[in-house]
Amino acid sequence: MLDQAPETNAVVPERYDGPILEIENLSISFFTRLREIPAVMDFSTKVMPGEAMGLVGESGCGKSTVALGVMQDLGVNGRIVGGSIKFKGRNLNDMSAEELRKIRGREIAMIYQEPMASLNPAMKIGRQLMEVPMIHEGIGEKEAWQRALEVVSDVRLPDPERMLRSYPHQLSGGQQQRIVIAMALMANPSLLILDEPTTALDVTVEAAVVDLVKDLGRKYGTSMLFISHNLGLVLETCDRLCVMYSGEAVETGSIEDVFDKMQHPYTQALFRSIPLPGADKNARPLKAIPGNFPLPHERPSGCNFGPRCDYFEAGRCDAQDIPMSRVPGNDRHETRCLRFEEIDWNAAVEASQSTERTEKGDVVLRVENLKKYYEVSANKMFGGGETRVVKANETISFEARESETLAIVGESGCGKSTLAKVLMGLETATDGHVFLDNLGIENTPIENRDTGTVSSIQMVFQNPFDTLNPSMTVGRQIIRALEVFGIGENDDDRRKRMLELLDLVKLPRAFAERMPRQLSGGQKQRVGIARAFAGGARIVVADEPVSALDVSVQAAVTDLLMEIQRNEKTTLLFISHDLSIVRYLSDRVMVMYLGHVVEIGETNQVFSPPYHPYTEALLSAVPIADTSVKKQHIVLEGDIPSAMNPPPGCPFQTRCRWKKDVPGNLCETEIPPMRTLAEGHQIKCHLAADILDRMEPVITMDAD
Amino acid sequence: MEPITWTGSFGAFLNPLMLAAVVVFFAGVVANFAMNLVGLRAGEVQINPDHTLTINRTPVDYALMAMKYSVLLFLACWALFVIGGLTLPEYEQKGIIGAMGQRFLPVWIALIVMFALSIRFKRKLGLYGKLFDSPIGMVGFGLVMFWMFSAIFADLIITHGPIDVISQMRNEVPGSFLPSPDEGDFPLYILGGDNLGRDVFSRMVMGAREVLKIAPAATLFAFMVGITLGLPAGYFGGRLDTLLTFIANLVLAFPVILLFYLLVTPEIVAAGIPTAMAAVLFLFPIIFFVVLWNSRYHMQPQKRLLYISISLVIGFWLYSGLAFNADPLGIISMPGNILIVFVSVVFVNSPTVFRIVRGIVLDIKTRDYVAAGQTRGEGPWYIMLWEILPNARGPLIVDFCLRIGYTTILLGTLGFFGLGVSPESPDWGSTINEGRRLLTIYPHPALPPALALMSLVLGLNLLADGLREESLKD
Repeated sequence: MLDQAPETNAVVPERYDGPILEIENLSISFFTRLREIPAVMDFSTKVMPGEAMGLVGESGCGKSTVALGVMQDLGVNGRIVGGSIKFKGRNLNDMSAEELRKIRGREIAMIYQEPMASLNPAMKIGRQLMEVPMIHEGIGEKEAWQRALEVVSDVRLPDPERMLRSYPHQLSGGQQQRIVIAMALMANPSLLILDEPTTALDVTVEAAVVDLVKDLGRKYGTSMLFISHNLGLVLETCDRLCVMYSGEAVETGSIEDVFDKMQHPYTQALFRSIPLPGADKNARPLKAIPGNFPLPHERPSGCNFGPRCDYFEAGRCDAQDIPMSRVPGNDRHETRCLRFEEIDWNAAVEASQSTERTEKGDVVLRVENLKKYYEVSANKMFGGGETRVVKANETISFEARESETLAIVGESGCGKSTLAKVLMGLETATDGHVFLDNLGIENTPIENRDTGTVSSIQMVFQNPFDTLNPSMTVGRQIIRALEVFGIGENDDDRRKRMLELLDLVKLPRAFAERMPRQLSGGQKQRVGIARAFAGGARIVVADEPVSALDVSVQAAVTDLLMEIQRNEKTTLLFISHDLSIVRYLSDRVMVMYLGHVVEIGETNQVFSPPYHPYTEALLSAVPIADTSVKKQHIVLEGDIPSAMNPPPGCPFQTRCRWKKDVPGNLCETEIPPMRTLAEGHQIKCHLAADILDRMEPVITMDAD
Repeated sequence: MEPITWTGSFGAFLNPLMLAAVVVFFAGVVANFAMNLVGLRAGEVQINPDHTLTINRTPVDYALMAMKYSVLLFLACWALFVIGGLTLPEYEQKGIIGAMGQRFLPVWIALIVMFALSIRFKRKLGLYGKLFDSPIGMVGFGLVMFWMFSAIFADLIITHGPIDVISQMRNEVPGSFLPSPDEGDFPLYILGGDNLGRDVFSRMVMGAREVLKIAPAATLFAFMVGITLGLPAGYFGGRLDTLLTFIANLVLAFPVILLFYLLVTPEIVAAGIPTAMAAVLFLFPIIFFVVLWNSRYHMQPQKRLLYISISLVIGFWLYSGLAFNADPLGIISMPGNILIVFVSVVFVNSPTVFRIVRGIVLDIKTRDYVAAGQTRGEGPWYIMLWEILPNARGPLIVDFCLRIGYTTILLGTLGFFGLGVSPESPDWGSTINEGRRLLTIYPHPALPPALALMSLVLGLNLLADGLREESLKD
């Protein structure tokens, strides 16, 4: 592919030895009717050939704006107000629209977060891929087809011929993202910009895509600009990284330098607010960054991070604009901090108050052999056609005690949401039992449950932007929950109780009159928590309550949830796919796959061998932002099978790497029984005991 | 006496000015088009290092500027005519435009007061206030309110009774004086007389009242029916949805005009079908409000009782008056022919509203706040009416404005075919129909109601556009 005849009228040289991308003092602003909003200020970076550069920061910090600036695609309101963006030595700001068109897609390719949005749903994949070289290099259809075939096999998609002949909607999310990557590689670009390429994917699929991107970068020698909010992911993919905060780069350097010898308070605070292996909610609680992210037009003078910084020195940090300064001794390591040489970076984290481990109480919730099947018929109106059965939950059994946190882990389609629906009474069970204090509720839909039962089991939802009704004030929504649960004698009573609930979730009482759109994501999630606890809930199902929030906010919301749990002795069912946070806060873990519970046990039992093969793969897939952690490299092949058409035998057999160690075709014919390995630790696997004992830990810490 | 001229004494210098404005405008259009063809573009905003903005003007910018100022000049001329009409003493000096401007004085005052207040307090008025950020929305709102105020102040504006006949004035051209005006009579027919000798201007203004009496109310009823049926169809889905959608499609597939002809056929009226339809359709608002209060206050029995009984009392009082013309107090009444128009308009509009509501509900019911409502044990009607409906208001308000426009045209069509409304009713459709017969000889009786209809519907469409545009911004 590399020996294509170079185009004679190329805008930039085919071979270039200097930096591929060189951004100097870039400033980008958006202009609204009211004011100029600076989105990026004084941003400089350099990407060398074959280098992968990570761009990390919370939402709103300007990382995507930088990428759009490189593509010169800032929309009608955005303007580059200063600095230069040099691509292979030529300033992109000075290029004509014509020249830019030649560079986009050919020299610089971009991969976006949502794969389905980047593919034309009305065009076969082969056509879409072939377009790229046909437009940019003017090659023939046959040759383009050949190249498409080659690239599709390069992104490790099975049966490339069939892939090229299918439409985007016929592929799974992971496959679609691979096609998008293939499309970006079709023109063999010198620079690949990846804007959160795996955020929409499941962890195991994400791990495979990240693996692929790394390999392709090596194979094609493409430079990469990798934008992500996930430090662990950047650690796995990039050589260098740049941490951004509120429109500025605050620290840049090689991965090792920034991760291990950080020189900026924000980077440090960021690392302290994410749970790392070994962190424990009782011994070492997460340290949330105090305060809020400043709005672009309300930035403080001097250091943007100043008001939230532990090392802030009035009169100095807020006196002038702060330039990037070199950290002596390290390779191209720079920080935007005046005091970096004075701060003792190795000082231990201030021992934030550690709390007592709470005692578990009686069993509150018991689920026995729960099954939930859905019937899907082809034709709704006449009820004819074949009916197919979706087995969303298969023989689920577990129990949860008072003040206990039980984490439910699994990827999309594993049946965890269905389980939550059955518990809440939004669906009734097909078979099996759900006991709340020995009262069977599996067949009582929510409209037949009494108020006490309804208020006992409440839910916290995932998406903060969706969890509150946009056209009702915050206070009104909490009062409504109180009304429904029959709390308070009259309106004044309920209003008082509502204000107390706002205190409970640490929101100012003035928020009662606010509309949800005036609140930030973390604040909305707090209101959601207050609403769930309005009726004195005893069991709270938290469906990925923090996954949509920024890391620094995640820590605060998680801590709040833990604190309320401690005081109210609530049973928390914490649904998540983020194993770091699960390990940090849960007492017990239940791993689900395709409607089955494949492993359940105490947190340390689940996180150490012997594992269920799926747990093992999940653990390996989770990116961990710690350079001292060594992980076994396990990549799952293929996608999760559809629940409409599950594989026979063990649900995980299609992707299991241990299958060959089970004699005969046991895995393909029989669903494994639930086996008890140790007190309270059960797995659903055919593997013999001696093989399980030989399993090695997936995550090991360097002995330092 | 000679009829007065259109522009009066100001015309001498304003007419050439207006003509010049029109010429400049069209020259600008042509120049702009030509320059675009040869590749000239409007100047772009440059940002200087000191964060100031500079615009380099190109010829295209000057052409656009010329067009803008010519439009302003044109409007200023109109304003001057109106001012002339208010200040000059004699009708010959005012001209027809000036005389009309003078008659519309209450409307001008109301419009100025309303706009001044709204713009002053626009930041506190929510979506309505935001409307005043959009020029298109303001123009639309202005047009709609012009006719709204005309309808309200019609008694002050009209110069003669809408059905008063002066036979000498038959087909007289605009600006004609009365042959022998009595003491206190308005001395002329501003827009001339129709083929029976009635005043076209007064009929046009009274027509606004006729149209605006029916169109918004009928649209509101159509929305009540559409919402009350669309919410459960979208929310519950399944067979109910299939059935209701099928019925809606059936109604939509039936030719509208044919349906109207059927409804006004004496046999069908005698069989009581329109009344039966009214009895069903007018029940929906009552159901809507009862369910609304019940779902909200079902655990506070006192409040529930209060709100529901108020809704029931007012609802059935209006119901008896509107549907059966049997108001026990004798205040509310609806003549039979209006009832037919009303029922038919509601009947053909509600399926479309139903479909819009159903579509929005299908989208909104997947949101987490709906799930949150379900998990705290809210009934389905609470979720539909209090969680989903308020969040569907944006598209519904926009559609409401558009639909009043359609209804107005529909009423015009009905009037044009002589359906429903009484023969001498001044509504715009009937007036156009009457004027149609002598259109080639005397265009003046048919044109004013046609232009009025057009401007009202245009205003409603612009208003809907402005609302849509502003509701998307935050």
